[in-house]
Amino acid sequence: MEETIRQTQERWFIFLEKLEARMEEMCTAAIPELVKVFDEDQDPYKRAHGRMLAGLVGQLYQMMEKANEVKEEKILGPAFSFGHNTHTFREACFERHREFEERVHQHIAQLREAAGKQDLESFYQEQLAAFERIRDQFTCKQCGGKITIPKMFFIATYITCPWCQTQNTFMPSTGAQIMLHQARSLAEQRTAHLLKEYEDSRPKDPALNKKYLRAMFDEWNKITPDMAAENEKFYLRLLKDYNIDHL
Amino acid sequence: MPEEEKKKTLSYLERLKQQALTQQNYGGDVQDQAARMEARDCPNCGAGRAYRHGLTNCAYCGFSFMDVQLTDGIHIRKDNNS
Amino acid sequence: MSQNPLLEPIHGISLEDYSAACAKLANGLTEDGVATALGVELPVWQEASLLWTERMKQDETFHVVTLFGQYFGQADQHPKFSNAAPVAAGNQGYTEQIKTDKHFYQELEIARTVAYEYGLDGAQWIADKYGIALGDFQVAASKWNTQIHADMQADFQGYTQRQDAWREKYKQLFADAQGGNVADDITF
Repeated sequence: MEETIRQTQERWFIFLEKLEARMEEMCTAAIPELVKVFDEDQDPYKRAHGRMLAGLVGQLYQMMEKANEVKEEKILGPAFSFGHNTHTFREACFERHREFEERVHQHIAQLREAAGKQDLESFYQEQLAAFERIRDQFTCKQCGGKITIPKMFFIATYITCPWCQTQNTFMPSTGAQIMLHQARSLAEQRTAHLLKEYEDSRPKDPALNKKYLRAMFDEWNKITPDMAAENEKFYLRLLKDYNIDHL
Repeated sequence: MPEEEKKKTLSYLERLKQQALTQQNYGGDVQDQAARMEARDCPNCGAGRAYRHGLTNCAYCGFSFMDVQLTDGIHIRKDNNS
Repeated sequence: MSQNPLLEPIHGISLEDYSAACAKLANGLTEDGVATALGVELPVWQEASLLWTERMKQDETFHVVTLFGQYFGQADQHPKFSNAAPVAAGNQGYTEQIKTDKHFYQELEIARTVAYEYGLDGAQWIADKYGIALGDFQVAASKWNTQIHADMQADFQGYTQRQDAWREKYKQLFADAQGGNVADDITF
């Protein structure tokens, strides 16, 4: 009996080691490829990269599922049938399994962070520059008079011709329209250091969270000023939710 | 690591990458369009669409461009109703 | 009932209109097509659409988003979109089946999830394989969700067994297409 227990434990350790080695091998080979796909992905939402990442994470979960099945069948089951004195065996096997799962999660985090964050700041600056180049190049569809677009718009907007009063519709570029939906993420990127400051505080300091939230919304409002009034309503809601959670 | 297994991992990776790159994005690729200006003529009287007393009706013949009640939004306001 | 200001129409576009429009957009109808169906011009639609999402963000009771889900599920019955031509060159048979056959929907929901785990866009896979557009898929989801939840509570074991069987089936299918999983050869 002692010998069977010893052998089972040994096989379990070797099995997990093999999975870890495979995981390591896959991630090491995958990371440079993943970064390449991210950099070359022309889609503004980086969906090819997203698919590849999901496929890699899927394989890691697959390994985790596999380990769980084996644990159920070969460790938990026998642990009962081995009878008494299996405490040390169980603890050792479980501890090794915990280590394995931690390793999986580390690899997942590594894969997710490999490509870094999308550079939304450059994208936004490009959109601003593009708008500056074209803003006074439009003419009224009716009288041909020159129309200068008063400010950066992110959605279709009526513009009245100053000469003949014709109601024109200005359609912003695709890039500008996308920017509206990325404004919050950009604001979060700009204020990430403040969020980190809050998350690193022990015990967590609510004042730091409020500081972060205010700064993030200030940035957000700077990026899309037209949305400031609506954003502020959302800000109040988040603040309220946070206060309820931290009574 | 036996060569055989290494090859298997690499071929999985390669297939995954090719598939990620070649699968069509749902709804197709994002078409990058430049900003543009448009205007609509009144389908009833043919006049250019002038802003006079609001957005919803034609300033000349009263044709209804939109049969809705505009509210206070972002750029469009309640007083843009004709 | 007191009037909830968050449910007031925006530029004449009600939450029912907006929800149905979202379902149609997910099926591939263009924004211009949506605006035409709702009888407004593009700037009006875009503002209303943006402001409806803002309302959902502001609503701490989740009432607006709950109703949104409900109306989304009824998009096919919305009179303003009854004349809007179906855009996605879909498969009418499967599109119909997913809304009438609960198990078919559940199976495809699993297939879609597993597809993502194997590096495929599940929505696109469903569209390629069955000709079901994302909007129709989501309409079916909001139609079935309550029932599925009830089934799960009534017979948890049966529910889990079916789910597991489908999951196994699609894992096998997608893994085979990829030449197997990376760690298939590693055994205890």
